Amino acid sequence: MTVLRVAEPQEERAQRLEREFQAVLDAAVDAVVLFDHEGRIELLNHAGERMFGYNEEEVIGLKVNILLPEPYRSQHDDYLRHYIDAGEPRIIGIGRELSAKRRDGSEFSAELAVGRVKGTEPPRFVGFIRDITVRRNAEEALRRSEAQLTIAQEIANLGNYVVHFDGKFEDYWSPHLYRVLGRRYGDTYVSVYDYLEPMVHPADRARWQQARDELEAGVKSMDIEYRVIHPDGSLRYVHHIAQTTRSPDGRVLRQVGTLHDITDRRRAEDEARQMQDRITHFGRISTMGEMAAGIAHEVNQPLTAIATYAQACQRLIAAGEWTQEEIGSALEQIGAQALRAGEVIRRLRTFVKNREVRREQIEANRILEDVLTLAQTDARHNGVRMVLELSPQAPLVQADTVQIQQVILNLIRNSIDAMVDVPEARREIVLRTRIDTEGDVEFMVADRGMGVDAATMAELFNPFFTTKPGGTGLGLSISRSIVRAHGGKLWCNSNPGGGARFFFTLPAVPASPGSS
Amino acid sequence: MRVNATNARATIFIVDDDMAVRDALKLLLRSVGQAVETYGSAQEFLDAYSEDRPGCLVLDIRMPGMSGLELQQKLNEKHSILPIIFITGHGDVPMAVEAMQAGAVDFIQKPFRDQDLIDRINQALEKDSNNRAALGERNDIRKRLETLTPREREVLDLVVHGKANKVIAGDLKLSQRTVEIHRARVMEKMQASSLAHLVRMVLEVGQA
Repeated sequence: MTVLRVAEPQEERAQRLEREFQAVLDAAVDAVVLFDHEGRIELLNHAGERMFGYNEEEVIGLKVNILLPEPYRSQHDDYLRHYIDAGEPRIIGIGRELSAKRRDGSEFSAELAVGRVKGTEPPRFVGFIRDITVRRNAEEALRRSEAQLTIAQEIANLGNYVVHFDGKFEDYWSPHLYRVLGRRYGDTYVSVYDYLEPMVHPADRARWQQARDELEAGVKSMDIEYRVIHPDGSLRYVHHIAQTTRSPDGRVLRQVGTLHDITDRRRAEDEARQMQDRITHFGRISTMGEMAAGIAHEVNQPLTAIATYAQACQRLIAAGEWTQEEIGSALEQIGAQALRAGEVIRRLRTFVKNREVRREQIEANRILEDVLTLAQTDARHNGVRMVLELSPQAPLVQADTVQIQQVILNLIRNSIDAMVDVPEARREIVLRTRIDTEGDVEFMVADRGMGVDAATMAELFNPFFTTKPGGTGLGLSISRSIVRAHGGKLWCNSNPGGGARFFFTLPAVPASPGSS
Repeated sequence: MRVNATNARATIFIVDDDMAVRDALKLLLRSVGQAVETYGSAQEFLDAYSEDRPGCLVLDIRMPGMSGLELQQKLNEKHSILPIIFITGHGDVPMAVEAMQAGAVDFIQKPFRDQDLIDRINQALEKDSNNRAALGERNDIRKRLETLTPREREVLDLVVHGKANKVIAGDLKLSQRTVEIHRARVMEKMQASSLAHLVRMVLEVGQA
């Protein structure tokens, strides 16, 4: 600071400098502290008093390190001595961040700079201390929110980016965007779109390019789903949303966007669709079961006619009472009826043809959980609660999942029907898996309906036996055949709490380390 | 309902919606010399049949439109006594049981041996004939009962309840001699050969 004053008396000048120095100290936002070569405080300004909670008089003569918490407090003497002995500045002259300590013991983040007062020997020092709590908090908050954003993106499997079109900045990749696009965080920089373009599945590329062109041409936002092929060759589905920011004169400044990996969702949807297809297919098979009676009737008709014509002809011939016309017409009918029976069988074969049995290893609990999803709507519609009791051992079975699900669905359907007349509070179906005493996996469907009397129990599994108006009487008999074909058995007894319990077993598959 | 068991020839009525089965059955039954009529639906039969025609009904249990069971029910409502043999498929056992409970004489599963059907038909015809004879006899008894005077009717009722002439005389405030005369008239009009015969006839028509 150079102040130009002409002809000012020495003493006046000294007093003026003193006042100006005092004004600087008083106005300073930072704490200012003067101390000697032994660290004894000689001066603390107003900001310092406010920051540390001391009065100046209290601290004059005390060691300056009372303003610091450990470990800084102990280190401070060493620093000072080191400087004086070796002339080596450690903290002197260099701003550094550390913790400072108030009179009440609380600590705060501070930035400290220390300077030596020129021309003093032994040396004296001036320290500037700035409270940076607010700045540090803001930095901390920012770091936290970034970390949370990264976690959120990881959970959602979503990344975001900013692409700059003015060439001044590199594109921004959020940490998780690397993962979504099959890269590792910190891989060498490449522009987002340059990287993405060759990854887009060839069949989706034209659509992708069109969406991008439209976005650049002025469409408000781009929102498409497409497939990408990762560097490791795996196929992923992404949901891509992007928007454009323009300058006032309409130039594209940047585009911001998100890429959401929706592969799992898509796979789940595909799986659900396939499951539905198989159920539909099995529905047809099950209808086939119900059609068995009708088909038997249809085959029986021509067979009956054939047998009867043949027997009638024999009798007529034996009695010698026949006419050629009569016998000729009967034989013609026999031929025609045989062809008719053949036609019925041909239709039946066509119908059954696309049925293949698919056995897979599956967790018994998983079968029940999937069935629950399928049956829930029906149950809710009838005011029936469904309770799952899954075996904690999570046993594996080898089964045609769809067939077994069909068996369970059929049992659930029966249970729901059996509870139509009981009060809603009682309407409950328990689905249970457990390992029985022989080590087989036992499934149970228990209801609290009207139960099964002994006479019905005896007939229950006979084909065409039914207690329902409009029932085919085939559900349980087909179910039993399915379970038997799997090497298990199906039976029922009375629920001690009222109602009926149906059980079936499937042989357990020993869990091997390679399977899961 | 007036039925004369003797003057009509028994007919086998076949009701089946399947033309081939119907035609084959007709040929078979013709081969054993039975009179046969065929109908393609239950309604057709119902429209054509009159109750006084003896025979039996061979009825397919499954038919479009009116089923065999429904036809049986309609005939029951008309107090028909025509015996019914149901023809069933192998899966129709519960329906067949229902039909039997509703009074069908028998059922036979398709396809069947000709002799089995013929035997069943013969049994049914015999039953029909017996039924109609019994029915005829009951009609005769009713007719004879109608010829009794009110006083004779009173005496009859007390006689079949096992009361002695003296008691009847007391009950009806008649002389014992008068009761004896009425009683002789009753025996004559009812064509009873003995007191036991008289009681049996009255029980037969359910008038005791």
